[in-house]
Amino acid sequence: MARLIDLASRPTAAPVLVGLGILAVWEGLLRVVSPDGFVLPPPTEIAAAFVENFDAIWTGATITGYVIVSGLIVGALLAVGAALLVNRFRIAHEAITPLAVAISAVPIIALAPIFNNWFGLTSARSKQFIVILLVFFPIFINTVKGLGLADPSKIELMRSYAATKSRITREVRIPTALPLFFTAMKVSSSLAVIGAIVAEYFGGRQDALGPMITQAAGLTRYADAWAAVLAGTLIGTILYVATVLIENAVMPWHSSVRTTDGR
Amino acid sequence: MVAPSTSSPTPAVQVQGVSKVFNPGKSNQVEALDNVDLAIDPGEFVTLIGPSGCGKSTLLRLIASLTDTTAGSIQVNGKGAEQARLDQDYGMAFQKAGLFDWRTVAKNIELPLELMGWKSADRKSRALEMLELVQLAGFGDHHPAELSGGMQQRVAIARALSFEPSLLLMDEPFGALDEMTREHVQDELLRIWQDTKTTVVFVTHSVPEAVYLSTRVVVMSPRPGQISSMIDVDLGGRTEFTRDDPNFHTAVTEVRKALRAVGA
Repeated sequence: MARLIDLASRPTAAPVLVGLGILAVWEGLLRVVSPDGFVLPPPTEIAAAFVENFDAIWTGATITGYVIVSGLIVGALLAVGAALLVNRFRIAHEAITPLAVAISAVPIIALAPIFNNWFGLTSARSKQFIVILLVFFPIFINTVKGLGLADPSKIELMRSYAATKSRITREVRIPTALPLFFTAMKVSSSLAVIGAIVAEYFGGRQDALGPMITQAAGLTRYADAWAAVLAGTLIGTILYVATVLIENAVMPWHSSVRTTDGR
Repeated sequence: MVAPSTSSPTPAVQVQGVSKVFNPGKSNQVEALDNVDLAIDPGEFVTLIGPSGCGKSTLLRLIASLTDTTAGSIQVNGKGAEQARLDQDYGMAFQKAGLFDWRTVAKNIELPLELMGWKSADRKSRALEMLELVQLAGFGDHHPAELSGGMQQRVAIARALSFEPSLLLMDEPFGALDEMTREHVQDELLRIWQDTKTTVVFVTHSVPEAVYLSTRVVVMSPRPGQISSMIDVDLGGRTEFTRDDPNFHTAVTEVRKALRAVGA
């Protein structure tokens, strides 16, 4: 008992216990209300389907995962590059910002069938393009804001040392922008998962996660569909955790980081 | 009232006929400074004091070449203010310590040295020296957020002095500190000033602070910003008794009167 309380007092224990609790209620409720598991299969069945189809799911996860990660990285690089240009040059601000806002207003996922025609149905390019467009705006707009938040007195101090503009960007603006950039990365990592899987619904390699879900659902093999959804969830979770780890490594000074490790 | 300097060398700061107008020709035009003359000799500790809007911070930022004059000229160490900035002739400290959270304390002090292209080993040993000077030895690897306000301000002073500039420009650097810390840091600044023979131009709105620190108090008046009077302060070396010294109080009263005359 004492050990259980000790376990519960750990910071990671609470969400794990809550998660297990939800799974238990889900499982128990379904056994009573809908024993056939037709609409919503119980967690144990999903887990069984996950294990049973592991090879296919692994293949699908690598295909879809490649689209997600490559799209996210390329999109982030483009967004940060554009943000730096916009921050540095007024003309770039006038040229790029309205374009970025216009892109964000487009229902990007609706472009998937069109991109399939552009890049070829089986090419990963069309899906990568969707992911790039989806993640670009949140990262761009947050990074622009972060770069602009730099403390004017720090910039004056750098000017008093005769620092160049690019040096000021490196020493003051970029470190100031990092917290907002990482927040945008966390939002974008889940956007990338959604974008890739939904884009795959509109065609492409049939062994990717998206088609796996549509096919299984079409055949009313709901446990298999949920197992594939679970794989997408795991990819999103891994990306989120990776982002947090990178954030902590890059910004050891950041106060929100300091408070979470208990200091 | 200004003591005529005998055998005058090149002034550390020479301000001649300087005017500064913000937003000229617009409805929100402000005459921040009007025809200001000021000469500061090397080794002086000069305080600029006056009511808000008198242009004391503007004058400091003009000397630092962080903004341009509308009329007149400013020389620092015998050259134009901008050239002096590019040559890194002065160190600067602001009301906010302005430390870089993402750098350790030692790395903050090394910042100007990095910009000047010092070698890493030289930077490190200088940072250690500076930490000793401001009595923060052992705090080099801390991050600024772990330091108190007074300690942060001392790091900012160490940073401003790290490359041994002949001129130190300070814009209300102790304004945000509590009284106890403030007096402590004032003594520290005076000790450093005496040790390093640096010229200091110091902006404050505190009369006792101005008198305690300076060899000369420059009283400014607002709308438009002008120098209304200068008061030499001769209290000798400051000690813990200086603040109780009748001469100290006389000087404080004199500055207060000068300020009252300009409507502060």
